[in-house]
Amino acid sequence: MLHQLDYLREVNTVSVLLRLTLAMFCGGMIGLERARKHRPAGFRTYMLVCMAAALTMLLSQYESYMLHHVWAEKAAEIGIRTDVSRFGAQVINGIGFLGAGTILVTGQQKVKGLTTAAGLWASACMGLAVGAGFYECVGLAFLLIFLVVHLLPAVELYIVENAKNMNIYVEFQSLDNVAEIINRIKAKDVTIYEVEVDHGKQTPSQHPNAIFSLRMNRPGTHAKILAAISELEDVYVVHDI
Amino acid sequence: MLTLFDGLRDVTIWSVALRMTLAVVCGGIIGIEREYKRRPAGFRTHILICLGAAMTTLTSQYLYLVLGQYTDMARLGAQVVAGIGFIGAGTIIVTRRQRVKGLTTAAGLWAAAIIGLALGGGFYEGGLFATFLILIAELFFSRVEYRMLQNAPEVNLYVEYSDNKTMDTLLQEFREHGLKILNMGIIHSKSNEEHNACAIFTLRLHKGLDVEHLKQEILATAGVVSVREL
Repeated sequence: MLHQLDYLREVNTVSVLLRLTLAMFCGGMIGLERARKHRPAGFRTYMLVCMAAALTMLLSQYESYMLHHVWAEKAAEIGIRTDVSRFGAQVINGIGFLGAGTILVTGQQKVKGLTTAAGLWASACMGLAVGAGFYECVGLAFLLIFLVVHLLPAVELYIVENAKNMNIYVEFQSLDNVAEIINRIKAKDVTIYEVEVDHGKQTPSQHPNAIFSLRMNRPGTHAKILAAISELEDVYVVHDI
Repeated sequence: MLTLFDGLRDVTIWSVALRMTLAVVCGGIIGIEREYKRRPAGFRTHILICLGAAMTTLTSQYLYLVLGQYTDMARLGAQVVAGIGFIGAGTIIVTRRQRVKGLTTAAGLWAAAIIGLALGGGFYEGGLFATFLILIAELFFSRVEYRMLQNAPEVNLYVEYSDNKTMDTLLQEFREHGLKILNMGIIHSKSNEEHNACAIFTLRLHKGLDVEHLKQEILATAGVVSVREL
């Protein structure tokens, strides 16, 4: 560990101010990437979570400092019984709950919001590290996140473009249509390796639907497949998952 | 630590009064912005949560320092952190359009609770500075955030069209512009007279292509009835 930072590892006014500011900055960094994608938790949310998590760590360090200095007499009399990581441990828990709220399963069997939840949780954990004054870890994490935020979109785009597998969700009038949909898919030189058919209910709002897992033999046919299926008269909804 | 607060670090009638007042003030400051934006958890909610949290750390310090009980001072407060996570999760709602709302409110409530803990514990420097930072985030960064959303490289477009061939033309157009389709969905509706299908595209824009311009161009395509940005 770097000895130059020893002063900032103590609990003093300077380190408190520095850590809270740093936590907000780091949280914002993680949030930046999410905000770019129009995701619900903008970067202010990440800032708040990261900063508050840092505050919990600082608070427990403060209490421990007080026990050893200002309240030392009392502490010697009663005996010290505390755990510096107790507040912080609950952050991991509590933000897990918060994150659970962002995850939703849509009516079309698609999970959304998982990355938001994970990002929120990661920024809370980062806040704990900042609050503890673990500057080396924070510096490194900051660097890594910065790289991920700026390099990953390009990689992601490449993967999305060249992905060979796709899942599509189709809603149609009756089960007789399945054969025709399969024909249309096969015509595009695509292998179907899994079909999950739901018969639907007799109510008008829920049509029979199917989820096709496909493997494309040629790249770039993605949108064409969807367009081809949508041309069928009896198909109500098509989209990829 | 600041010497200014030295006399207020122990649990005395004055420090208790000051800490609780500060909790109300700081909770109010955080809540006032939410109230201003007409969000579900306003002024009073934040004050109550901040004050409640302050009382937990105060109570455990009272148990230890005044009554001399052999206890862990962090135990009560730690449960607040998890508990407010629950309350916060309740403020998150999923709208019909499958958007998540209320996450910032939840995070704000959670932050208010932790500031309450710090103030109740007598950690004035941390609690007050954190409130100040939140205020900056609300006042300054909310503007930055709106601006960033406007310049986001991903855009969701909702297109209504009348003809199956239109879809092919649109796909062609996107390809010509070098736009990447990240996600798309198509819905047929037969009851509508103006159009018979609508599609939702998630596109990745590149620099130099304006959304407004793109919308104009899509609208000009034969068969397209309307275009909207989501």
